[in-house]
Amino acid sequence: MTTVAIEPASVAQPKLALVSRALRRIGFLPALLIVLIVLLVLFEPRFMGMFNIFNVARNSSALLIVASGQMLVLVVGGFDLSVGAVIALTSVVTAKVMAVMLEGAPEDVTLAIIAGVAAGMGCGFVTGLINGACVAFLRISPFMVTLGTSSIATGVALLLTNGIPVYGMPDAFVKDFGRAIWFGLPMPVYVSLSILVLVWIMQRRTTVGRYIHAIGGNVQAAMVSGVNTNFYLILAYTLCGMLASLTSLLLTARLGSGQATMSGNLMLESIAAGVIAGVSLRGGVGRVEMVALSALFLSILTNAMNLLKVNSKIQTIFMGIIVVAAVALDELAKRRSRSAREG
Amino acid sequence: MSEPSAAGAKLSSGQALAAFMVRHGLIIALVVMEIGFAIVEPLVLSPGNLLNIIQQTSYIAVFAAAQMVVIVTRGFDLSLGTTVSAVSVASALVMTGMVANGSTNMPVIMLMGMLTGLGLGLAVGLFNGICVSVLNVNAFVTTLGSLNICFGIATTISDGRPVFDVPREFSGLLYSGTILGVPAPVIIAIVVLIAIHLMLTWTVFGRSLYLIGGNPRAAALAGLPSKRYLTTAYVVCSLLAAVGALMLTARTGSGEPNLGGNVTLQSIAAAVIGGVSLRGGVGGTYAAVLGALFVTALSNCMGLARIDGYIQQIILGCVIIAAIFVDRLRTGAR
Repeated sequence: MTTVAIEPASVAQPKLALVSRALRRIGFLPALLIVLIVLLVLFEPRFMGMFNIFNVARNSSALLIVASGQMLVLVVGGFDLSVGAVIALTSVVTAKVMAVMLEGAPEDVTLAIIAGVAAGMGCGFVTGLINGACVAFLRISPFMVTLGTSSIATGVALLLTNGIPVYGMPDAFVKDFGRAIWFGLPMPVYVSLSILVLVWIMQRRTTVGRYIHAIGGNVQAAMVSGVNTNFYLILAYTLCGMLASLTSLLLTARLGSGQATMSGNLMLESIAAGVIAGVSLRGGVGRVEMVALSALFLSILTNAMNLLKVNSKIQTIFMGIIVVAAVALDELAKRRSRSAREG
Repeated sequence: MSEPSAAGAKLSSGQALAAFMVRHGLIIALVVMEIGFAIVEPLVLSPGNLLNIIQQTSYIAVFAAAQMVVIVTRGFDLSLGTTVSAVSVASALVMTGMVANGSTNMPVIMLMGMLTGLGLGLAVGLFNGICVSVLNVNAFVTTLGSLNICFGIATTISDGRPVFDVPREFSGLLYSGTILGVPAPVIIAIVVLIAIHLMLTWTVFGRSLYLIGGNPRAAALAGLPSKRYLTTAYVVCSLLAAVGALMLTARTGSGEPNLGGNVTLQSIAAAVIGGVSLRGGVGGTYAAVLGALFVTALSNCMGLARIDGYIQQIILGCVIIAAIFVDRLRTGAR
């Protein structure tokens, strides 16, 4: 029952509607995921190939980490459009710092890696802090703040590199970390699973998690109950920025170069993953384990379309339709449960 | 006397003065900026460049006005840019296709091209509007979806390549043509903007949009057909985007699958800088035009002063945040 109690936005609804909605929430996505996997295993032999599985695992790990950060911001009733730009900036800064340090002291590899990682995480931290502070203190719409910081961060990333990839990272970071296979699985899988567990514990077992949900559900009520809403708002944005930086570190380490164009579609996909997982855009509702499932779902779906040689342009159309359909179905279900209650 | 906008009706004289000050603050900023850059680079204030700014503004003003119509209803349209791309490619393909099939009747060819573009705009607007108003999907998600869909359409039908050989007459009509010495884009923009202004201030539909954005519950209680009006607002937005897209296609002389790259960001920035509130219910054609003028003049000045393109991007980001902050101060003062 804790699954239900943690969603403050739905507290006002009667038990029956709540239970049916919770069932729908838990049931729909895993079922779809299983159907997709079964179909792929039966009809597409290449899907089960080692190389392909690794690919899916890497992609979904990256998406899961960004999307869980995005989820925290969505839960407090915001958006973060800047995650893509943060990923780009982190990649460039990390690579640059490592390359410069190595040039100065070629034998001090550990120090270079530590400095690079710290600088990279710093990018996410600072951007998140700015986003959070603007939203919390200046009460600026999150949409515009993160649009602005996204433009700024992308500009800085391009300015630092002139759009040219940054090489020169130590092998210890690229070969031994980024492309590592631990116990038969790519390294990012372990990182993303630990993030999943940590965020889950934070959401379910700590006051921080409850406050974040409370703010998203009803900011006024949270404030009146003595929650330092500004602090938790900033915390959510900062965590989101740092998780984006973490994703970037994994991607950069695997790629072996810092690139200002690295983020690709991750910003859109992170929001899509959240929305498909039933994270409400009005705030207050969102569970990280569902986000993980939907990150996996999106990655497998993309992979399936690639294996079936669906044109990448048509994939984009398809992805757009899926996102809108997911939210439309969710709204429809909500309305039906509401009218069932009234009628 | 009834005010044209719901926001206007709420203002007392002191607050009206504050709003007045903020509006003129932007004009002052514009003049200071122009003079400041003119000291560094005298070309900024040359008649040729000023005419250039006005021409460029006419495109962005159309897009900003389109965006403004939905922002007033407390929504926004992220798909505007890719709608522009899709319309550009589709209309160019129809025109070049007809020419390739041996059709020589230019007016019919151009008419079909424009109708295709406007039809596509209508379709996108209906999709957005119905998802937002009837299916109750958040405007962000809806237009994010149609952004992807339009991008896919634009790149699929064109194979990702520009569509060349758009009839020269088309560019002649919508770009290089003049009436009494005034360039065609400027005339089209003025006509479109006046039409939007009249629609927003003189029709029940237009004025209802302010109430729907400012207070949706009151709009529903007042018995306004909110769903129909909201859908129409998105249709108007996408149709305007299509008009702008046709103008841009005439300028480049080709259908470009990434013509709308920066248009979404620019249109939202222009509208918001001009004073359209993202909380809905506030804004007008004047704000859209002023914002468009400011954004255009800023990038024009930075370009002439040879400021690095990447730094321009950083400055635009800062300006957006600053503008919202001013908007916040203004609504805080109310």
